[in-house]
Amino acid sequence: MLVPLVQFQDGGWTYVISIILVSLQGSVAAVTLSTLFSLPIALLLGFGEFRGKSVVTSIINTGMGFPSVVVGLVVLMLLSNSGPFGDLGLAFTPEAMIASQFVLATPVIMSVSLSAVEAVGQPVRDAAYAMGGTKVDVGLVVIKEARFGIITAVLAGFGRAISEVGSILIVGGNIVFSDGESYTRTLTTAITVEARQGRYEVGLVLGVILLALVLVVNGLGSWIRSKGRGERSS
Amino acid sequence: MILETNDVSVGFGGDAVLEGISVGVEPGEVLTVVGPSGTGKTTLLRLLATFRRPGSGSVVWDGGDVWSLSRDERLSIRRQLSMVFQEPSLFNAPVHRNVTYGTRVRQSWSERLRDELGNFVGESQLSDSAQSALETVGLTDRIEQNALSLSGGEAQRVAFARALAIDPAVMLLDEPTSNLDPRNTAVLEEAILRARNRGVGVVVATHDMNQAERVSDRVGFIYGGELVETGPPKRIFESPADPRTEKFVAGELLYEGNDLAAEQTDSPIGPDRG
Repeated sequence: MLVPLVQFQDGGWTYVISIILVSLQGSVAAVTLSTLFSLPIALLLGFGEFRGKSVVTSIINTGMGFPSVVVGLVVLMLLSNSGPFGDLGLAFTPEAMIASQFVLATPVIMSVSLSAVEAVGQPVRDAAYAMGGTKVDVGLVVIKEARFGIITAVLAGFGRAISEVGSILIVGGNIVFSDGESYTRTLTTAITVEARQGRYEVGLVLGVILLALVLVVNGLGSWIRSKGRGERSS
Repeated sequence: MILETNDVSVGFGGDAVLEGISVGVEPGEVLTVVGPSGTGKTTLLRLLATFRRPGSGSVVWDGGDVWSLSRDERLSIRRQLSMVFQEPSLFNAPVHRNVTYGTRVRQSWSERLRDELGNFVGESQLSDSAQSALETVGLTDRIEQNALSLSGGEAQRVAFARALAIDPAVMLLDEPTSNLDPRNTAVLEEAILRARNRGVGVVVATHDMNQAERVSDRVGFIYGGELVETGPPKRIFESPADPRTEKFVAGELLYEGNDLAAEQTDSPIGPDRG
């Protein structure tokens, strides 16, 4: 009953639905790309023994604490007209937001996946190898054994991406078309606008929608994990 | 001999773990390698399994040196071997997925994808060899159960079935019953003999002399990385030729520590952080 009490800006529900879609599309794209990028690296780090491995792991862990505005600033510098990727014309686009969300989600996904991969013991890897598996087969077994940890990693990355404000405000520009449809405005950046204009109740409604989205995604993750635990005890 | 080592030596950090070992297994024969803990048995099995390359000497499969072959040729040899470890090391999946693992990695990628999709929608099939391997260890009633929820003894029996289901030419068993109760040990020993009767060459590493006496056609006594003597179990245990064998049989040699460091680092696929 809260919704009819608040007055969204021009565009009404079109506005709200469009910012939800921009939020979801950006976060899902960034997390998908980041998972595809992070998982092979987590496997290589988990499997391999090489000089400087602990340094690489420390850098990844440090990345989890990257200040998002700094990431936004660097991504904008790279994508701006005078930057090295300026020709692509990506500054102030949803793609630029995906890029900065990718940078922020990747250390989280990589670090949590690495822990999950490392938790798969050498005996299980040896068993896969001893059954005639190639190194690729052993890698697949490790991913399968670490699947619940990897799901946690993806969820943590999604949480980081969808709750992001600072960097996407800088690289996306918080743009809404004149018809009220969002171009680069997300739930989080919309909340900052509403708060700045003193429209706290609208901000709160958007906050509740954001929380509900995060809740649904995490609920899905918990359901998958509980299914896995059921397997163990069945 | 189908699989043998020819004067192999392995060193680790300047210490010899194995020295000049020549031993092999025939099809349809159980060779038991006995000796105190930490004396090189596991290293020998891992050499036979082509997990690692010997420092010197050769590992010979059907007359040819396996380490002079290409990687693909070595893989095809490796796929005629299977190994069971002291720990069952089963996958977090139902028993049937564990037992069919070896068969699945031998399939083409398209077959594997079809199989995974079939399993996802609950239409997985147990091959005849997997079914027969589970019958051999008496666990056909546990097919759908998650392997991690089995007792230690049942888990080791599934690990044996997983290794048997690929119809291997040679099975390498590293202390397969050292953590098991007498009933599960008896089931597994029976399964070893059944595999042998089907023509599988079996190499068992154990420190249990009674087991060696029960299952072996031939026993090799290994001590200090050296193969002291080989022979029929009766001869080795009743009239050993070497004083060290005599001491081991009398229960005086229990432990030797030079194998441990090498065993912890000789995995073919990465270091142990498990």
